[in-house]
Parts: sequence; C-alpha cells; structure tokens
Amino acid sequence: MTTTTQMPVTGPAAATARAVREGRASARAIIENLLERIERLNPTLNCFTAILAERARAEADAVDAMVAAGKDPGPLAGIPFGVKDNYDVAGRITTSGSIINNRFAPASRDAVLAQRMTRAGAILVGIQNMDEYAYGFTTENAHYGATRNPLDLARSAGGSSGGSAAAVAAGLCSFSLGTDTNGSIRVPSSFCGLFGLKPTFGRLPRTGTFPFVHELDHLGPMARNAADLALVYDMAQGHDAGDAACADMPNVSTRHHLGEAISGRIAVLDGWFDDCADDQGRDAVARAARALGAAGSITLPGAAKARAAAFVLTSASGGNLHFAMLKERAGDFDPATRDRLLAGALLPANAVQQAQRQRALFLEEVMEALRHNDLLIAPATPCSAPLLGQRTIHVNGRDVPTRPNIGLMTQPLSFVGLPIVAAPIRNGRMPIAVQLIAPPWREDIALRAAAQLERMGVARGPGEMPC
Amino acid sequence: MTPVTIDDVTVLARMAGLSIDPAYLPTVAANLETLLGQAALLFDQPIDPLVEPAPVYRP
Repeated sequence: MTTTTQMPVTGPAAATARAVREGRASARAIIENLLERIERLNPTLNCFTAILAERARAEADAVDAMVAAGKDPGPLAGIPFGVKDNYDVAGRITTSGSIINNRFAPASRDAVLAQRMTRAGAILVGIQNMDEYAYGFTTENAHYGATRNPLDLARSAGGSSGGSAAAVAAGLCSFSLGTDTNGSIRVPSSFCGLFGLKPTFGRLPRTGTFPFVHELDHLGPMARNAADLALVYDMAQGHDAGDAACADMPNVSTRHHLGEAISGRIAVLDGWFDDCADDQGRDAVARAARALGAAGSITLPGAAKARAAAFVLTSASGGNLHFAMLKERAGDFDPATRDRLLAGALLPANAVQQAQRQRALFLEEVMEALRHNDLLIAPATPCSAPLLGQRTIHVNGRDVPTRPNIGLMTQPLSFVGLPIVAAPIRNGRMPIAVQLIAPPWREDIALRAAAQLERMGVARGPGEMPC
Repeated sequence: MTPVTIDDVTVLARMAGLSIDPAYLPTVAANLETLLGQAALLFDQPIDPLVEPAPVYRP
C-alpha cells in the first residue's frame, strides 16, 4: 500500500483517485493524514468553520470497502473536498456566514453538487468560511473571523469563497465548491493562486445552497490545477429540477479534451478592464494573450455601466432577501453587510429596473463580441491580495475603498452569466489571475485555455506540498 | 451627486417600513450615496423603450 506521504492531496486528483481505485492507496490513510494537517494549520488560516472528521472517516472507509469488494468508487475516489458555508450539509445549519441563519433547522441532506461529489467518491472534510451572506470580497467575517491567505498570512484570501480558496491553496483539501455572484470564485482564486471556474449561469444546479442574488448566483469549483478543475466540473454537471434556473443542457465532458490546443479567435478586453488593472494585472494578461495567440483587443463600451448595474441590483436584491431580518435583527448582522443591505433596501425601484434594462443591453454587446471571438481575456482583480484590513486599493490613479472595488472586473461579466475560468499567473510576490471568458455553455473552451496556459508554464497553481 | 443625509435615510426607511438604529444611519447614508452614484451612471443616456429588462424567469 502506498503511504500517504507519497500520495499528498496536493498532487493531481485523478492520479490520487486512480491509486485509491486500484487499491494502491487507502482513502482512510489520506483522510487521516489530511485531518492532522487541518488540525495543525486551520487555527492560523481559519479556512474551516466546521471540520467533519467523523463523517470524513466514515466516507473514506466506505470508499476503501468498495475497492476491497471489487467495486469502483468513482473518478474522485478518496479525494478530500470542502464546501463553502452556504452549501447544505446534512445535519448542519447552513449559516451562510451569519449567526442569523442559526434560526433554521439543520439541513436534511447535502446540496446537490456536494451529493454529486460524494457519488463520485470524494470525501467531504469540512465547511468553509465566507463573507456573511456572500456579500464581500475579503472574507473578513465579524462572526467567524478573517481567513488568512496561506501565501502571506497578513493578506486576504479574497472572498466571498475565501475559506474555500485558502483551504485548497494550503493543501487542506484537493478542491472546494464555492459560489460566485459577482466574483466570489474568481477573486479568491486570483488572490490565492488557484484555478477557479464560474460556469454559465444555469449550468450547475444550486439546489441546497443559500441564495444571495437569485438571478446572479453561480456555483463552481476551485482547484490546484486545470485538470482537477475540469474533473470536478465534469462530475458536477447535470440538470436538477430543484433549481428553477438550472438549464436542461446536455453534459459536455471537458477533462478528456484539455490537451487540445486553442485554435479559435482570441482577444484581450481593453477599455474598462485595462483601466481598472494595475501593472501586474496588465502583465498577466499580456503573458496569457501571447501564449494563447490573441490577435488583438476589443472594447466593451458598456462595461462600466454593467458593473454599476450589477452593483445596484446586488444591493437591492440582498436588501429584499434579508428585509425581514433587517427589520427584526439588524444588530445581528456583520456591520459591513448590514449597512449595505439596509441601503439596498432603500433604493428606488426605478434604479433597479434601469439596471435590468442595462443588463439586456450589455448582454447584446457581449454576444456581438463573442460572435467574432471564441475567447476573451481580462484581469480578474484590480490588484493582487490586499492586506487584511486594508481600507483602500489604488485603481486608475485613485485610492478607492477596498471591499466594494475588488470586483470591478469580475462583476460586469458574471452579470451576463458567461462561463469564466480564473487562471493564476505568478508574475509578482503574490499571484494574480486572468479571466478566460468563453461564449455561453462553452466552459470547455475556457478550461482548455487554462490547461494550455498551465502546460506552457504561464499559469501555475500552488504545486505539490509536503504533508 | 447630491449627498445623502441621515434625514434622507430616516424618511426613506420610514416609507419602506424599516426602523434603523440611529447608530447605523451614517454608514447606511454613505452606502446609499454610493449606490445612487452608481445608479446615476445608468441614466446618463436614454435607453430605447423597446429594451426589455433581463431578469431570469422560467414559468
């Protein structure tokens, strides 16, 4: 039997799963080794709000028992993963980073996406920290504390899926499932140096997750390399009637096609996306563009308005969703969340309706750009990870508040539901990601581009770590 | 952009059926001012009356 030291969770998931499926490694040994690592590192990093040790051991034993019985536990056999605290986990209250949700009963079953991971043999090891109600980009949570970036403990891991990203980057799980409404997978992927996928709106079912903005909420994975990201995405696909927005689309297997080179038309997004970037972000885009053979650049003139519209709509929707609790228990919210939700609840309906109409206009503009291009490239964040507590970042010649402005370049694109892979570029002291933006339902293109950048050494995840 | 005052927030909150703790009013006002500043960008050019809003709705 291979020892767990030879089979770290930071290695390629497919190889580890193959070793488990072939009986060369034990899922239980992998999990025991990992739980020790979590116990050692989590008090500093604060990635997990709950560690599910007994459940993980039971699931690992079940995987090993299947192997012993000559059955195949699945392509993710023995692979440890975590879920953001807005995913239902059977027997646990889904806090969504709040204390207000403690009024709810524990979940009776896991979120559908988590169920699919388990069916594929993956082992759920814990629930991960986030900004309260997913309304933030830094995971500085007043109730559950700040998550620290494993690459620099003084810095933010990003948010709102910050615990999920930091856990993967620190080797505390192989992959995480997060959510992205305005950038909450892509931002922490950028800050922690991970590969993250925000699929097309409606691609993956959100059944069993706590909402933020119904019409903008996406679920997706974060992983240490493009192959793991594609593997997890493939296991996650499939319609579920429990999510009214989930499209009944055929599954598109991506993991077996990652080696195919990108040959279509590729362009860099300039204008808003260049204006909001810093030198490191521009350099990251230039490297990716060169490697992928981008032919030129294009401008989306409506990007600034799309970002403004997403900002308005998010606040209004959040204010509406939490209105009853804002009336009854305002003092129990994280102050940073509460005051924005209250403001959102006071917005004139006229502004919200105008945001919806701007959205229609921007979608038309983006689709026109995608009629002429198969892939677009833009920075993911205006800067690499800021310090925890840092009040401002420098954008386009001005110091602007950190929290609301980290999503400047992710917000316009999720606003129209495009599939995007964040691919980490290590061209500074801290990494920064580029967004690889594909036409609707073409996650496969964005994943292939990420894999190509990784093969060329342009994008790079955290690599293997000693246990 | 006209600044949003605490009094503005108090009036709006009353109309919305919210009672906001006075301690929160300054930051709520600041956030509402930011939001209205962003919303103003959406009105700087007229939109064709035929442009439909784009919420997600599946009957």
